[in-house]
This record gives sequence, structure tokens and C-alpha cells, in this order.
Amino acid sequence: MLLADSYPFITHNQLIMKIAHDEYQKIIAYDELFSADLTPRSAAQPLFDYLNALDETELLARREAVETTIMAMGITFTIYSEAGNIDRAWPFDVIPRVMGRSEWDPIQAGLKQRLKALNLFINDLYNEQRIIKDGIFPAEVLEGSVNFRKQCIGVTPRFGVWAHVCGTDLVRDKDGTVYVLEDNLRVPSGVSYMLENRQIMKRIFPEVFRTTNILPVDDYPTQLYHTLAALSPRPGDQPVVAVLTPGIYNSAYFEHSYLAQQMGAFLVEGQDLLVGVDDVVYMKNIFGLQRVDVIYRRIDDNFLDPEAFSPDSILGVPGLMRAWRKGNVGIANAPGAGVADDKVVYAFVPQIIKYYLDEEPILANVPSYLCMYPDQCEYVLNNLDKLVVKPANESGGYGMLIGPRATQEERDQFAKLIRANPRNYMAQPTLEISTAPTLIDGELAPRHLDLRPFVLQSDKLYATTGGLTRVALRKGSLVVNSSQGGGSKDTWIVEDTSC
Amino acid sequence: MLARAAENLYWMARYLERAENTARLINSTTDVLLDLPHGATLGWDTLIKVAGLDESFRKLYKTANEDAIMRFMIEDERNPSSILSCVKYARENTRTLRELLPEELWERINSLYLYLKDNANQTLTSRRERYIVLQNVVAQRHAIVGLISGVMAHDLAYQFIRLGRNIERADMTTRILDINFAVSIPKDMPLYEVSVERLWMSTLKALSAYQTYRRLKAVHVTGAGVIEFLINDERFPRSLEYCLKEAESCLQAMPFSGVVLSSVQSARMNLQRLNASDLDSGELHELLDVTQKELGLINSALATQYFHAYDDPSKTSAVQTQQQA
Repeated sequence: MLLADSYPFITHNQLIMKIAHDEYQKIIAYDELFSADLTPRSAAQPLFDYLNALDETELLARREAVETTIMAMGITFTIYSEAGNIDRAWPFDVIPRVMGRSEWDPIQAGLKQRLKALNLFINDLYNEQRIIKDGIFPAEVLEGSVNFRKQCIGVTPRFGVWAHVCGTDLVRDKDGTVYVLEDNLRVPSGVSYMLENRQIMKRIFPEVFRTTNILPVDDYPTQLYHTLAALSPRPGDQPVVAVLTPGIYNSAYFEHSYLAQQMGAFLVEGQDLLVGVDDVVYMKNIFGLQRVDVIYRRIDDNFLDPEAFSPDSILGVPGLMRAWRKGNVGIANAPGAGVADDKVVYAFVPQIIKYYLDEEPILANVPSYLCMYPDQCEYVLNNLDKLVVKPANESGGYGMLIGPRATQEERDQFAKLIRANPRNYMAQPTLEISTAPTLIDGELAPRHLDLRPFVLQSDKLYATTGGLTRVALRKGSLVVNSSQGGGSKDTWIVEDTSC
Repeated sequence: MLARAAENLYWMARYLERAENTARLINSTTDVLLDLPHGATLGWDTLIKVAGLDESFRKLYKTANEDAIMRFMIEDERNPSSILSCVKYARENTRTLRELLPEELWERINSLYLYLKDNANQTLTSRRERYIVLQNVVAQRHAIVGLISGVMAHDLAYQFIRLGRNIERADMTTRILDINFAVSIPKDMPLYEVSVERLWMSTLKALSAYQTYRRLKAVHVTGAGVIEFLINDERFPRSLEYCLKEAESCLQAMPFSGVVLSSVQSARMNLQRLNASDLDSGELHELLDVTQKELGLINSALATQYFHAYDDPSKTSAVQTQQQA
């Protein structure tokens, strides 16, 4: 990386913010805010103009204010540990990630295209399976899928849509290309943090919102409500919408209650619902039972209905699948939608888009090697030191191997796992995931990050403006999950300036 | 409204009220102890007796000195009625209710919790520190009540909060009135009369009722006067009469409240019938005991009517007939 002797924005007398040059010198990743010579990219220029005007004490004071605000707003996530569940304050970095609108617009279009195709795909799998008959998608992949639910065969939910809420993880490689890393179609979380991050920034840095044209993000709860309301089996303008949570000890409980509050929906647990003899879902209210039209469930398929799935689940609602199959309740995401949330299926998404939409994919897929194919498996086994290997059905960054960073012993261990169950693994080349300057010990240091936009579909398609930026706060780390030392940043999509 | 939500609202209000009452009680007791003559038996352990926590305290602590009792009453999470526990439970309940409550309310309660967690320890260092922290708890709690009455819709959720607050308040008033039963001042002690008067004053102060009593009732503080005032006064918001009247009005705003309402009315009528000035301390103690039991009955009536009506699976076939209009 090029290093100039002086940087335009730090020669400015007031700017105290120091750049961690040593660290920047060592990395080859693309930086979201700095060009190679460590000058701000054009979209980030107004941000740095603003930061320049703050002196060090001011910035540190604001940062402290952020921490106090996060505590007071009670923005927490839960960590499971031996000592019981701990509520941790949400780790937040005050330096936002900035992207110009001209760059964002095609990404947004690509996200919608992708979800539209995936929904057609899921509906096809549970019904005619044309894509298999036409030889595009291999039957054996479907047979090996742990998220295919036979209880859902023959169902066509409203609008033929199964995944109503999708969290798509995006990363940028060193050449600047944005790739889709995975599509989370089961119960993706994080959107509340996206919304709260913006709230925090508005409270702590109100001035910068006046000088920069930062596009708002706060229409998400309204859009989510419309997406859900459209699934109501009873026509009418006030459907009863409920967010179904596993309860207060779930790591995403904060988000469940937050979204219920923002949408004016009911927040319910399994014990609050029952399915009547008429196969209709009811809430146990103080004066009797009230019909529920739409359930935004934040519980995994397997716990949803002890009658249909795991019989010992106490989180779910007995009979819920019956009610759903009869069309008496809308469930988002539909049970079984996770079939497309599988890292092997992922590899087929470009073909899926072409097959159903007859369009070229707008967003790039990371080249993927599927261990189910012997030649590709061979390649993976021979190149474990260069590849990232992922199990097909894990989320949260668990159970994966980052080849170049692993020990020989770990790689050998993984080779065994792959040979034992090739269908369950896929591998991708290691990307140089992009970085953004992050305030670490008073300096701006490069930290790797990803971006999770949220995409909605029922009668209409919608994608958030930006999304949740997750950042690996540990030096050199690529793991952005909050359960493993990740934090987050506000994500700004800014109107491109003409200058 | 969800049955579980109603129950959580009710208990959230009770916990917050209990936290405030306990804070007040500790501060006023500190104040009173400084004034009592040596020889009077009012001690710190009266506090745990009042709260009905004598037994659980003894299980956890060896000696009932000021330090141990303050620890137990303020910051010990093993005591479900300690101020910190109450605020913690109120916060947990609020977390499950965020969609029903004004957004700010969560932040307020969360802040109170964080404040207390950070400062509960301070209360053990000196009486002065303790006074300040507990005053702050009271003040922050008032901000919460203010938000609830000034910002929240006065809907059903609000009625459950108001109901919880008043039932808890009535409960505390019975307990504080009962303090004097636990105290004996030897008749032959010098300044006996003055000491007794001080004791009743302390009862009033524990409920922040002293000034109001003097304004509305009498300048002289007498046992009979205080009992009558705290049980039957229609204007003072912590008298049993007032709290139960409030509870009645909450229930009148709720459909299907008949059974619960009549349990409140009967408790209220029992109190109205009595002639407070005739009671000796034993009779008062018995009466308060009965009232506490009646408050317990109101609680169970609420649970049966609203909170746990559908817990019995055999009732779930009645789906069609009980549907809400």
C-alpha cells in the first residue's frame, strides 16, 4: 500500500485523529473509506471534513457518550457462557462506513433480484420441482438438504413467497468487487442494530447529518409491517400481527421486542398462542382468545410446532403447521424456507437466477467448490491451505475452517470431516475482505467488515438502504459475529456529490 | 392484550412501587432512629420484620446489624424484595413489554437499574451516601411514574400498571402501620409520651405522610389519629381507603372484572366499618393481617380472571365462544 508522507486531512491543524500507519501498511485489502494513498474516498470526504473539525477531547467525549447511550438505550445482545447468560452492551464503532449511492443502487437491485429468484426456487422445490426435472439443480443436493421439510410439500404460500425476510451477507474483495457471501433465509437477525446504530449516530453526531446527505434507514419497520400484513388470510386493514420469540433468554430477544414495538405488533411466546379445533391460531388475551393473522416467527423450524417437528419443543405452538397449511395464518419466514439457505445451494444461485428470471445475476457469487462432486472435492482437499471451508448448514461463523490461518493439524482434522460427509461441505477461495478505519486506542486502524442488508418480499420487494455493517474488532480477525468479538458501525449511503 | 403482558405490567408496577417504598422506608427509619431515646427497642431488624423477610434474612446473615440489613434490603439479589432485585425484575418485565410501553420508559427503567447496580455499593459506605442514592432512586422512580401518566395512553395496559401500583402501595401501608406492633417502649421510660409520639411520627414519615397529616388531620400526632388517617383518609394517596378506591376504579375500567372487583370492595368495606380509634395494638395487628390476606386474595382473583385463564388445556376447546368481539 502506498504511503504518502503527509495526508491532506491530517495536515489540517485541528485533526488529531491518528492513522495506524503500521497496520495499514501491512494489509492489502480494499479500504472502504481510504484510497490506496490513505486519502478519503469521495463518498467519505464530508465525513472526514466533519471529523477534522472535532478536537481530540471532543471526539473522545462523543465516544464516551456513545457508550453511555448504548447502555441507557439497553442495546444488548446475549452471550451464552458457563457463568449464565450475560447481557453485553452492543460493541459499536463511531466511525461509520460510507458508500455512495451510485455504487449502492445496483447492489440494491441485485439483492432484490436474488431474493425473487430464491423464492421462485423454494416454491418450485416444494411443488413441481421443474428445476430438477430440467437438469439445472441436482436432485441429490435436495436429498442431502437438512433444511428441506417434507411437511411443506405441496404448499404454496401467499404470492408463492417463502422467504419474506432475507439477510444477505456481502463482502468486498481486494479488487473492489462486492460478493454475496451467503443468503440467510431462516431467521436472520441484526436489523434492529442497524436501526439503533443510526439512532445513536443521530444523537451523538447530529451536526454531520445536516452537512451530509445521508439517506435514512428508518422506514424498515413500516416496510416489514406491510410485508407481513400482506400475508394476512383475512382481508382487512388491521390484521393481527405477532412476533413469535423464544423468549427473554434468546440472544436476539432485544431485536424481537424492538421490532414488535416499532411495528406496533404483539410480541408473543409459544405459551401465549394456541391452535383451536378450527385450525385457527389464537392469542391468549386477558378477555379471551384473539385470532392471529400473521406470525413473524423468530424460532427455528424445528421448534415451531411440536406436532410436526421436534416433539419435545416447549417453545413452539402445537398445531401451528396445520393452521398454516390450511391457509389460516401467514408465517414469515415460511417453514421450510431454509432449504435455500444452504451453502451448497448457494453455489447454484447464479443458475437459479438465470433459470427463473432469465436474467444475468447482478451480484457476484464467490466461486465455490462443492465437495459432493469428487473432482471438486479432490481440489478442495489438495488446497486446504488456500481455501475457506464451510459446513453447509451452520450459521454464526461456527464450524468453518479458514485454511491459510489454520494449523496443519486443524486442516488434517477437517479433511477427515470432509471425507466422511462430502455433501455437507463447500469451499471458497479466501477473499481479502475489505477494511474500514475503526477507532482503536485513539487511532484509526483498519478492521475487516461485511455488510448485511435486509431484503423483504411479499406482494412487493424492498431492500434496506445500506444494512448492518459488522466489523471484526480484533486485529487481523475476519470473524464479524458479535458472539465472537465482532462489533458494528453505522452504514451511510450518501447522495453522491457533483464535485 | 396478551394475558402474559397484563401480568407482567401488573408486576412491573408492583416491583417499582416496592423499590420506591423500601427506599423511603430505609431513609425515614434512619431518620427516626437518630431521634429515639436509648432503651426503645426499635432496631434495624424492624425493617425486615415489616417486609416479612425475617426468615429469609436469618438464612443468609448471622447478625442483624445495620450493615447486614442494609445489604440485604438494598443490594442483595438473593432477596427478591431488595431494591436492586425489584428494579431488576421491573426491568426484565419491561423488556418483555416494550411494544406496549412508551419507548422512553424502557430507557428510564434501564437507567435506574444501571444507576442502582453501579451505586448500590455506595449505600453501604455511609449513611450520608445511602441517603443520597436512595433519594435518587425515589426521584428516578417518580420520573417513571410521570412518564407513565403523562405520555402513555390511558388504556388497559395503563390500568394494569395503576392497579399494581395501588395494590402494592396498600400492602406497604399495612406493613408500615404494623411497625409499631414490633416496638415496645417501656412505660416507665423518661419522656415516654414524647417517644410514643415520635414513633407515630416515624410511621407517617415512612409513608411521606407527616406533612399531609398535620395539614389535613391534626397538629398533634396520636396513635388513633395516625391509624385512622392511614386507613380511612379519602384524600391521602397512600391510605388504604385511597389505594383500594383507586384499585376499584381501575377494575371498573376493565371488562369482566366482577369477581376481582368484589374482592376489592369487600376489603374496602371491612376497613370502612371499623372504628380506628378503638383499636389497641393487638387488634390493629390482627386487622392488618386480615387486610394483607385480602390483598393476597385480590392477587389470586386477578390471576384466575385475567393472567392464567387459559393455562388449563381443557379450556381451549371453548375457543369459539370466548372469542373477543
